[in-house]
Amino acid sequence: MSTFIETLLGAEQGSIAIIKPDYMIINDGVSSTAIDRIATVGNQDKVWVFHDHDVPTGSPAAAEILKKNLAFARKHGCHYVQAEGIGYQYLLDEEAKPGQILIGGGSHASIFGAKGALGINVSIPELARVVETGRYSLIVPESVSFTLGGTVAQDVSMMDVAMAFLAKAEGLEGKVIEFYAPALAESERSVLCSMATLTGAFTAVMVDHPAADANILDLSQVEPMVMLPVASRGEQAKAAFVPKRTLAGTKLEAGQVGGYTGGTIEALRKAAAKIEGKTLARGFRLSIVPATGNDYLQALEEGIIADFIDYGAQIQAPGDRSVVVQGAGAMGPEENLLTTGLYTFAGAMGSAKAAVYSASPESVIEASYSKKI
Amino acid sequence: MEKVFSGKIWKFGDDIDTDTIIPGRRGTIPSIDEMKKYAFELLKPEFGETVRQGDILVAGTNFGCGSSREQAATVLSSNGVSCIIAKSFARIFFRNAFNSGILLLQSDEIQEFCEGGDIVTVDVDQRSVSVNGRSFKVGEIPENLFNIVANGGLIEDTKKRIQEGIKPLEIAALAKDELYKEGYTLAEKLLRKNSGVSHVVPGDIVVTKPDMFMIHDIYTTYLLATLKKMGAEKIHDPDKVTIVWDHCMPTAVANNDYDHYHAGLELAEKYGITKLHVGEGICHSLMHEKKYAKPGEVATATDSHTTTYGGAGNFCTGIGTAEMAAALVTGELWFKVPSAIKVVLNGHLEDGVLSKDVILKLLGDIKADGGQYKSIEFTGPVAREMSMDARFTMANMALEAGAKCGLFEVDEKTAEYYGIPLSEIDWVKMDDQATYEKVITYNINELEPQLSCPQGVDNVHPISEMIGTQIDEVYLGSCTNGSLEDLAIAAKILEGKKVAQGLRFIVSPATNKVFKEAIEAGYIRTFIEAGGVIIHPCCGLCCGMPYGLMSDDESILLTANRNFIGRQGTAKTLSYLSSPAVAAATAITGVVTDPRTL
Repeated sequence: MSTFIETLLGAEQGSIAIIKPDYMIINDGVSSTAIDRIATVGNQDKVWVFHDHDVPTGSPAAAEILKKNLAFARKHGCHYVQAEGIGYQYLLDEEAKPGQILIGGGSHASIFGAKGALGINVSIPELARVVETGRYSLIVPESVSFTLGGTVAQDVSMMDVAMAFLAKAEGLEGKVIEFYAPALAESERSVLCSMATLTGAFTAVMVDHPAADANILDLSQVEPMVMLPVASRGEQAKAAFVPKRTLAGTKLEAGQVGGYTGGTIEALRKAAAKIEGKTLARGFRLSIVPATGNDYLQALEEGIIADFIDYGAQIQAPGDRSVVVQGAGAMGPEENLLTTGLYTFAGAMGSAKAAVYSASPESVIEASYSKKI
Repeated sequence: MEKVFSGKIWKFGDDIDTDTIIPGRRGTIPSIDEMKKYAFELLKPEFGETVRQGDILVAGTNFGCGSSREQAATVLSSNGVSCIIAKSFARIFFRNAFNSGILLLQSDEIQEFCEGGDIVTVDVDQRSVSVNGRSFKVGEIPENLFNIVANGGLIEDTKKRIQEGIKPLEIAALAKDELYKEGYTLAEKLLRKNSGVSHVVPGDIVVTKPDMFMIHDIYTTYLLATLKKMGAEKIHDPDKVTIVWDHCMPTAVANNDYDHYHAGLELAEKYGITKLHVGEGICHSLMHEKKYAKPGEVATATDSHTTTYGGAGNFCTGIGTAEMAAALVTGELWFKVPSAIKVVLNGHLEDGVLSKDVILKLLGDIKADGGQYKSIEFTGPVAREMSMDARFTMANMALEAGAKCGLFEVDEKTAEYYGIPLSEIDWVKMDDQATYEKVITYNINELEPQLSCPQGVDNVHPISEMIGTQIDEVYLGSCTNGSLEDLAIAAKILEGKKVAQGLRFIVSPATNKVFKEAIEAGYIRTFIEAGGVIIHPCCGLCCGMPYGLMSDDESILLTANRNFIGRQGTAKTLSYLSSPAVAAATAITGVVTDPRTL
């Protein structure tokens, strides 16, 4: 039986496939440097330029990047999208369809696997080449299957599941991870798929049928987890995952709930349910970052934004705030942050002397009562 | 300091600015003993070498104008200058000098009868200065102020008072009919009431007991350090103090903001301050929203735009950190009674023309120094038809003309906003007997929307001269124009529309209350659907924090209050200031647009 990627590409594992991606994605993060390498654009209708990282701009240098991105999009007639939140989440919610192929220059394009689409992360020079030619060549990778069984305990979320998976994962580099988990909600699928490539996998995808040889993940065994800080961006993939209880009592100055792991309407609802009747600890700064403009609007509609305002949280502009050098949510030296963002390297959230821990939205909200993990 | 003393004269002309006293590039020398050698280095290079302890400066008008740098006073005091006699002093220098331990005396006669090198004798009790056999009268200096100078400046004075045990100042309240006494400007009436002084004239010094002190997070770090330096274990009345985290909250600048955040919490904890607003909005908007700054009272804060609550007939003005520290300890604050300008606004505000346009027009006419240390007082049919929010906008920006305060009369709208019976506050009104230095009259019917252009608030042009100017970013917010009314005006224009492709549109409601009401009214939805992003209520880009900073050769239009060079990005970023109506219209088209033409 063919794997997901074999079926989609019409090519067997190990053979060469040449594909024409449906979406090529450039943003104001690292992938904006691809623009410096692009002379012509092969298929401008398939190229999407997003302003979704530094929103609103935290420095003149950030504005300079936007100037370049906008000029590029205008010159070549590409899509230019801003003020809609995280580009990947926007495309996932509004545009992407099962079976489509998306190529980005970051590390989380696998999020599209949540919808049965193929999201591929490529290097910056490769992204530039793909945008110029409208083509991408690859050797069809091997696939590994996992079936998720059982149900999670209360207050254990999909981020905890993904971290528990990452803590044990071995030998997945360069492979396609197929998850069979029919019970998961869409936002849970995107959390799992986007995080799974932290293993170094080629991509991750949700499939409709269980594989016979699938590895079994027992959700009932998962407990709340935390991703630990690492020293540099290059070491992010090596970050350790530990049970939250082992860090209990660690002091915190701030928390952030946002991004595609915490800022979707489903995640915001869960977070909002946990502030009811609670008081924000004096000395704890809580940021709420809706993933997209539509998540923001829906949260407005449901009264969630107003509830968070009353709780004393800071409501940030939608976007990818998992790395903030300067801007809302930046941390100071010797401060500790617990965030749903997936970058914990020194300097990811302000001062290089701040420690960044990553955990589920539920864990961040719980920490906001006491200023402690 | 003796009450009678003599010193050798150094003579200066008019308009000696703080850059002349100490050039900007010398102002950052870390040690004051090193810096003081450069005092007057361009005008009188010999000064630093030859000035002696006890020397006295004699100057013309507006001594100490220009930049607010405190060092202009401290280099003089550390050079031994004990006294300056001038025809007039610039506002901030006046305060800084006293607080640094320099006695300032006003005389417009002595200048003609003395030269550098002559010896002048000052008699504080007799209020006289004598030179070359002639004697001249000078303004009165209250005991408290003299003591600040005698004790070597504000920090030392406060330290000494703490050691001796603070003796509270007893102020006998004026009888109610005294409040209605005619012949006084609004500023004079408010200062008379608070200081209990029955008669005042411009130039008098009065000691007040402010009804509310506000500290925001830019100064928490320095204030805490100064209070510690003074040895203050407690403050006069913690209930009269509020702390607002709004400039550095949300924390955004990694190596600074956290410190201001924690210092504010420490201040609250150590001194028992309980009126705390952490990330709930902009301090000046909260001060009236929470009814901390009330009509008929006196408020002060560590910020220049403290003038805002003048919109409700509150005497309010900004002070420095050292002064705030001293005032928190003693509960007292001195003011020089300002002279006043009356601005009569006749006619009616047409659709699309807002209070912001009125104040910009005034700023363009009288310029950035046109209100130096003055009270700008607004009256006339347009002042009366303005909402409270519109009045706060005007009072907020009066500061940009250098004004001490911008005041509106109290009326039914004020009384209703505060839930105070009008009969308790209706003495805050103008009378025909008062003496105004100047009266400026406008026919607002003829006013078109105004734009403050790069780079200076007083570079104001009617919008018709600027139509079509390319704009890359629009920022709707600030304590000037971030009210519910402002958001409503913008939302009405933007409803069902999209912002221009590629233009960044950023909205910051002034406070959490405004934010929630704007959600309720659907304005926030309108802004998001139009393609804007909402940031949490804070000072944000208005004060140059990282909420939409711009690059070279980009243009931004803001509803804020300042467009100094580099404030919203680089030295080559062009900043325009406008009303929320102009901002919304411009966001749609991407070029400067008159909202009346949409």
